[in-house]
Amino acid sequence: MRSKILIAILLLGAGLVLLPLENSVRAERTRLKYGGARVTIQLREAIGQNLAIALLAGMRGIVADFLWINGHSYWEKKEWLRQYRNIEVVAALQPQAVMFWDLGQWHMAWNIGYGVLSDPKNRTKAEGVKREREWHEKAREFLARGVENIPNRYDLYFTMGWLYYEKLSKDCDQPPCHEAFCKAAEYFGKAASFPDAPQFVARFYPRALEKCGQARAAYEEWKRLWFLDHSTVAQSWNIVEREIRQLEDELQIPNDQRLFPPPLP
Amino acid sequence: MTESATVPTPSASHDRVGFSLNRVSVIGVNTLTEAVRQKVFIFLLIIGLVFIGLAIFFSQYSLGEQEQLKVIKDTCLGVISVISTLIAIVGTAQLLPSEVENRTIYTILAKPVRRFEFLLGKFYGSVLLLVLSMVAMCLMFGAVLWIKEQSMIRELSQTYLGETQAAQEEANQQIQQIKIAVLDVNLVKAVLTDLVKAILVVSITLLVSTFSTSLVFNVAVPFMIYMAGMLRGTAVEMWGSHRLAMAVLAIVPDFGLFSLADDINLGNLVPWAHVDEVIVYGVARAVVIVVAAHLIFSRREI
Repeated sequence: MRSKILIAILLLGAGLVLLPLENSVRAERTRLKYGGARVTIQLREAIGQNLAIALLAGMRGIVADFLWINGHSYWEKKEWLRQYRNIEVVAALQPQAVMFWDLGQWHMAWNIGYGVLSDPKNRTKAEGVKREREWHEKAREFLARGVENIPNRYDLYFTMGWLYYEKLSKDCDQPPCHEAFCKAAEYFGKAASFPDAPQFVARFYPRALEKCGQARAAYEEWKRLWFLDHSTVAQSWNIVEREIRQLEDELQIPNDQRLFPPPLP
Repeated sequence: MTESATVPTPSASHDRVGFSLNRVSVIGVNTLTEAVRQKVFIFLLIIGLVFIGLAIFFSQYSLGEQEQLKVIKDTCLGVISVISTLIAIVGTAQLLPSEVENRTIYTILAKPVRRFEFLLGKFYGSVLLLVLSMVAMCLMFGAVLWIKEQSMIRELSQTYLGETQAAQEEANQQIQQIKIAVLDVNLVKAVLTDLVKAILVVSITLLVSTFSTSLVFNVAVPFMIYMAGMLRGTAVEMWGSHRLAMAVLAIVPDFGLFSLADDINLGNLVPWAHVDEVIVYGVARAVVIVVAAHLIFSRREI
């Protein structure tokens, strides 16, 4: 009996001694945003018993991938609400996965959006437009949560910019909506500020600025891009040059102030 | 004169024999040899290797290169984690009971071998078994990644064949991204933490098998402790403020802390300092549990 008590004390004592280390690891995990949604009854109901067990066994990634792949069948069958719910569950399971937020909003704004717009059950064309706009808004709200979860990468800022640029810019009474382009520019600007952002991201920022009605700011941004070191910065310089020339004409910049003055007659 | 005074107990006679790492190593290697001959081990390993191989086919149901690589890595690391845990439980659960049942333990302990050496040898053998199986699974994982990488590069090269120079450059950038994603050194961290987790499971199973002779009990209890350990993080969040609950929870190791594979796959920052802390936690827990197993085993009537 004495030895049993001794062993129990040993195991308990070791557990208590290791508690600060354990808490430190757990705090670090929280700080670094590891893991995802807790396994709750609601989550278990959403994913089913078998996947919940797999989740408890530590296979969060596999469960999320499986659900994601499974979600394609909802897309094919045009079961939009199921697909939407599936996307939400997957994103909750792995909120640090750029892919799920990115493709999730793409499904909502592009695929489901078009699906409801062209739904033969719509009584009027306006109903289809209204439903499409609702899905655009759902996509925006969804992606905003993605940006909150992954603020340290350029990807979702660019995706949000692209959503405003391509879809939300048409969702006003008299499209194109300047406000949407201004928001797009804001997000493209943030995305372009990341050093690992691809070269095309930097070009979208002045383009959105121009559509927002800030042609002068766009021109200054194109010029800033042009003055970057051509030998070290990878960029499609011919496109930058073309845009600068175009804006110099549009803004009627005096020849002596132009980067690319027209050839003398 | 009482019997205990005339007949020295095994532990009393073995007190004169010093501890030998060599004997531990011999017992460990023998344990490994026996274990690899078991059909259950071979079956589990083959299942693991087949599922890792199948990851290529699972990935084809997803869009895009990065998504396909994510599916492959998630599947392979998940399979490695599950199979190594199962091997740790099944491979260790029958070690002591089978020695007792076959009476081979008598011939071993009749020799100048301390019980602690015997137990440590068994533990060492199980760890070797784990390392062996994980190396085999990691090699298969590497092969799967390599095959996928080659097929993606081939596909991209064919798509951009005869395109403009700018398009070719873009293709080269994509190929570089694929190579970086495949050759992710951080995957080592995931495998390492999985190994330490499995070693911890080995120690728990060894502890259970020191007082139980039932194989079903020896398999079921460590599995339940493992599942409880996976839920410990949630339990701490719920009852963290209650001291009594925390004291009870402190007995069960938090297996959730070892789950780094998902975050590594997602490209999250997983610093070595964090991995080191997890490894120290796992090893410290395992050492304490092996000591507890020794305390039980040294007093056990065989």
